[in-house]
Amino acid sequence: MGWAWLFLLLATYPWLLGADLASDTLASSSLIFFLSGTCLVAPCRRLKRWQAVLFAACLGFLFEARRPIPDGALALSLVAIAIFLSSNRQVIRNTPGMLRAAAIVNVGGCLIWFLASSYGSPIPATDLTGQLILQLLLAGIVGTIGLLPIALTQNAVLDRLNVPPAPDNP
Amino acid sequence: MDQNRQGARASYVALSVFVALWILAPSAVRRFNREAFVEFQAPALHLLGKSRDLATFWEKKSRSVEEMAAAGRDLARVNAALEIQINKFEDIRRENVRLREITHYNVPAEYMSVVARVATRDSSSWWQRIVIRKGRNDGIRPGAPVVFGNTVVGRVTAVHLTTSEIDLVTSPGFRCTAYLEGDDQNNIVLVNGVASNSLGTAKARVSVIPRDYSMPAGQPARVFTTGMGGVFPSRLILGYLDGGTYATQVGNFKESLLVPSRDLYNLQEVSVLVPLQQNPGEALMQGDQFQ
Repeated sequence: MGWAWLFLLLATYPWLLGADLASDTLASSSLIFFLSGTCLVAPCRRLKRWQAVLFAACLGFLFEARRPIPDGALALSLVAIAIFLSSNRQVIRNTPGMLRAAAIVNVGGCLIWFLASSYGSPIPATDLTGQLILQLLLAGIVGTIGLLPIALTQNAVLDRLNVPPAPDNP
Repeated sequence: MDQNRQGARASYVALSVFVALWILAPSAVRRFNREAFVEFQAPALHLLGKSRDLATFWEKKSRSVEEMAAAGRDLARVNAALEIQINKFEDIRRENVRLREITHYNVPAEYMSVVARVATRDSSSWWQRIVIRKGRNDGIRPGAPVVFGNTVVGRVTAVHLTTSEIDLVTSPGFRCTAYLEGDDQNNIVLVNGVASNSLGTAKARVSVIPRDYSMPAGQPARVFTTGMGGVFPSRLILGYLDGGTYATQVGNFKESLLVPSRDLYNLQEVSVLVPLQQNPGEALMQGDQFQ
């Protein structure tokens, strides 16, 4: 189904909104609940490559929309990750692989927006290593814990849309 | 398998071409794209804010009648006191206008106050922002100062149809001039946000403090807006100097940290002061760089 990626995006959006809500409660500690990378993993197993690319771009642009990140920095990076994952489905064939991919992709995405923001920031900053490590740690933990419920939701939607299940031997 | 590899290679090539086009594309394209995704999310943010308000409403509704009556009585007393103050201020305002007319003094900018509820807060090392549930449709313009009472909260950085983004005082993008309490010579200091690198309260930096400045004893020195530049009205509180001042590397001036006078992440409502007449700086702020 050609529009599966759009329906999947609408079904994933509540999770992104939930992450925004959690970021709201964490605001005083300058940390962000970043979930966009995790949301990308499960769809890459089942969607066609072009669908995964559109889905990844929308995920990235949704995160960037209300934040001072250089335009497209995260979105285009997520697209590149989506191309990689949808071309190497064997790395996300089983649950441990998916968990590993979720942690890596989420931490990678987090690192990309952090660096892109520092590039676009009006003032230089020093001594941010601690904050960066904290942010990456949070992204890794959230990415790993969040994968299962998010993947369940996304798979349920894909099942309803009659998207074929992920092949055992891609 | 080869087909898969070829497809992946073609996708990477297409992505590279798209990245090049994206970089070369006019900024209007990127701005339109950003606006589209913001407007997509706006209804959800409104829903979020309204459901919070509803929860507060039901929480208040569950209180006893006696409690509400007592609150109403206290409010009536406060209102009576405020009415007297309003009359006093009206007299002062008339006198002020008269004196300005006599001396041909430049009239300071006038503002329209737009009260808005906070939808979400978002903070990282590189930005500290809140999103409010009022936007272009309500007359808000980029660059407008945002206050709570007589305390500066921040400045509007981006305006959308029904929402606006506000850079807080502690955000790295924020900067303004200020006066320090206890400085009889009214030297101008510079306040700008700093990238947050701790789990504690976000702070801003106060720089260009004169070497001979000494803080008032026994209380933290307040930092006020100067009113210069036409963005913020004068004598609004930006915050307090945190602890002492320290010499800069060059040594000609001193620096200190600024603690906001309110917990900016617990605000439920703010006022946006929209200048009645657009000032020249606003046009510059509506560009691409002001994100």
